[in-house]
Amino acid sequence: MSLASGPGRAGMSSMPDEMQLFVDKHVRYIQSLDTRKDELEYWLTEHLRLNGLYWGLTALHLLGHPEVLPRGELLEFVFSCLHEDGGFGAAPGHDAHMLYTVSGVQILATLDAFAELDERVKDGRLKIGKFIANLQDPDTGTFAGDEWGERDTRFLYGALNALSLMGLLHLVDVEKAVQHVHSCANFDGGYGTSPGAESHSGQVFTCVGALTIAGRLDLVNSEKLGAWLSERQLKNGGLNGRPEKKEDVCYSWWVMSSMAMLDKLHWIDGDKLTKFILQCQDPEMGGLADRPGDMVDVFHTNFGIAGLSLLKYPGLEEIDPVYCMPRSITKRCLGK
Amino acid sequence: MAAYNFIRNWLLTIFHSSLHLLRAILYRLNIVRLIPTKKNSMPKYYHDDEAWADIEPLPQDDGGLHPLAAIAYTDEYSEAMGYLRAVMAKNEFSERVLGLTEHIISMNPAHYTVWLYRAKTIPELGIPLKDEIAWLNPTALKHLKNYQIWHHRHTIIDALGSPEGEPEFISTMLEQDSKNYHVWSYRQWLVKRFDLFNKPEELEWTADMIETDVRNNSAWNHRYYLVVGGRDGKPSQELAKREIEYTKTAIRKAPQNQSPWNYLSGIIRAAQLPKSTIKDFALEFADLDRPDEVYSSHALDLLAEIYAEEESSRAEAEKALNLLATRYDPIRANYWNFRKGLLDQPKLTA
Repeated sequence: MSLASGPGRAGMSSMPDEMQLFVDKHVRYIQSLDTRKDELEYWLTEHLRLNGLYWGLTALHLLGHPEVLPRGELLEFVFSCLHEDGGFGAAPGHDAHMLYTVSGVQILATLDAFAELDERVKDGRLKIGKFIANLQDPDTGTFAGDEWGERDTRFLYGALNALSLMGLLHLVDVEKAVQHVHSCANFDGGYGTSPGAESHSGQVFTCVGALTIAGRLDLVNSEKLGAWLSERQLKNGGLNGRPEKKEDVCYSWWVMSSMAMLDKLHWIDGDKLTKFILQCQDPEMGGLADRPGDMVDVFHTNFGIAGLSLLKYPGLEEIDPVYCMPRSITKRCLGK
Repeated sequence: MAAYNFIRNWLLTIFHSSLHLLRAILYRLNIVRLIPTKKNSMPKYYHDDEAWADIEPLPQDDGGLHPLAAIAYTDEYSEAMGYLRAVMAKNEFSERVLGLTEHIISMNPAHYTVWLYRAKTIPELGIPLKDEIAWLNPTALKHLKNYQIWHHRHTIIDALGSPEGEPEFISTMLEQDSKNYHVWSYRQWLVKRFDLFNKPEELEWTADMIETDVRNNSAWNHRYYLVVGGRDGKPSQELAKREIEYTKTAIRKAPQNQSPWNYLSGIIRAAQLPKSTIKDFALEFADLDRPDEVYSSHALDLLAEIYAEEESSRAEAEKALNLLATRYDPIRANYWNFRKGLLDQPKLTA
């Protein structure tokens, strides 16, 4: 999956008055990403390849066209990123890392391929689970991204996400992880990457997501956090990630998914946000950008469409705000 | 697509064969250059470099060359990676490896494997850590939002055991992007790692950052970390008073600014002071008797909270919330209406 930006640009003037989601264009855009390997940016984004597949695949499911990426080839690629120790690298030849391991598990879950994993690799799921569990810091409960030890609430959330999809949460100390997330709560109601780090919508998503998976939303001051999250909406309808920053389509996801988990989604103006997201489309070549006038890419395409799904845009599959995966798939994995 | 794969496989065959001469000619003629690079400098190759004659590059195993995974590199990058895989396979740590990692990082600084190998190489060679930091500085400035560079810096400075020179470097970084999350997180790590909480320069620097841009939320967050968040226990009354006065001055400069209002509430709560402490201050920006002259929705918000806690000010609280829902922050009308609903609930008695 190419993460190269473009070719299209999100429209401004050419946008019709009556706004709509260009489903077919976006499907074709995601499909076309695979044919762009001769571009410079393709290999510059190699370190995100497995993430890119997850974004593209999720967007296609939400758009109702999961079949357009060949399942067999996708699986081949995912398995070729799996290391002996149970971790996934971003692409073949890259070291294993938590972020790609989570994407790998999410793709396997979406493709309903855990059984094929276990056929190929003996106790495959357990192996992946152990790789993740080994990255938990026994003292603080948080997680590192790899053996080199960079720690961040992103990794903690990723660990709980992947483990719960595989039914292996018992491999880690969930209570300790929960206490660590709790220690990252800030004076303004938000959460950061580590205790004391500035509140940031992306990190709020990871912390609220982790607490939801652990069943400990009781630790969140949901009114204060909900208020902070709703303050992210700007007059143009778009959402930003931190106070006094610019709006960006991807925050439609980080902010709204958190609000959905807290049952506060109605605290923002959904109509205005829908309009803003639709303005970020390229109506001709497909794809969404961070804001109108910028180049489209698969990351913003996925999170824009996921945001529209949370806003109940007609015709889209329902998204699970905790996992950023189709709800039908998380239901199958979690049995609830 | 088929033609492309054919050419690619053909090139790979050549690359792995012993036809060094032909390969060299192809490179010289630029035939193998699939993609033009953005760099202006001459590309660097290893196959015709005497110093690397003993190394046989290892090919990329990209999962069997099926269409979804096949990756096209520039030949320069591809060759350098082949040599990196080869030296990693034999655990070589040497000056030439250090140069190779630098070369690859210059082409693709987000490739985390190459950073990790560099971090292993530095101590093996006994390279002075300060030299590594000196090398790292311009690289970091070129790639402001790269995670790997910051992690590498953490590792080196932690091993070095001194934050000397780091504040100057951080200032240079923040000149490019004054709200860069990596930089501020790194600054917090320095404060904690080297216990700079009571160093006057740290608070002065934070004040300078706020002075430069009173809307910089990262700077306000750092101040909170220094004064309250990173410390144990509740702040003294004296300290709370100093911070409240400091923040009032900042708010008077720009009343419609979330960060200092959040900060003010945070200090009041940490010091366990009643919110009414800042009632008169909030009234400077939003007097309910003059609804046309509201200078800050944050002041209205705060007043609504204060009135809601008072015995007989329910009507004022409702008025403030109505102004927010209809005039001063209508995009969040549902939230303000929710707050109005709370006014009718029985108060919890402490």
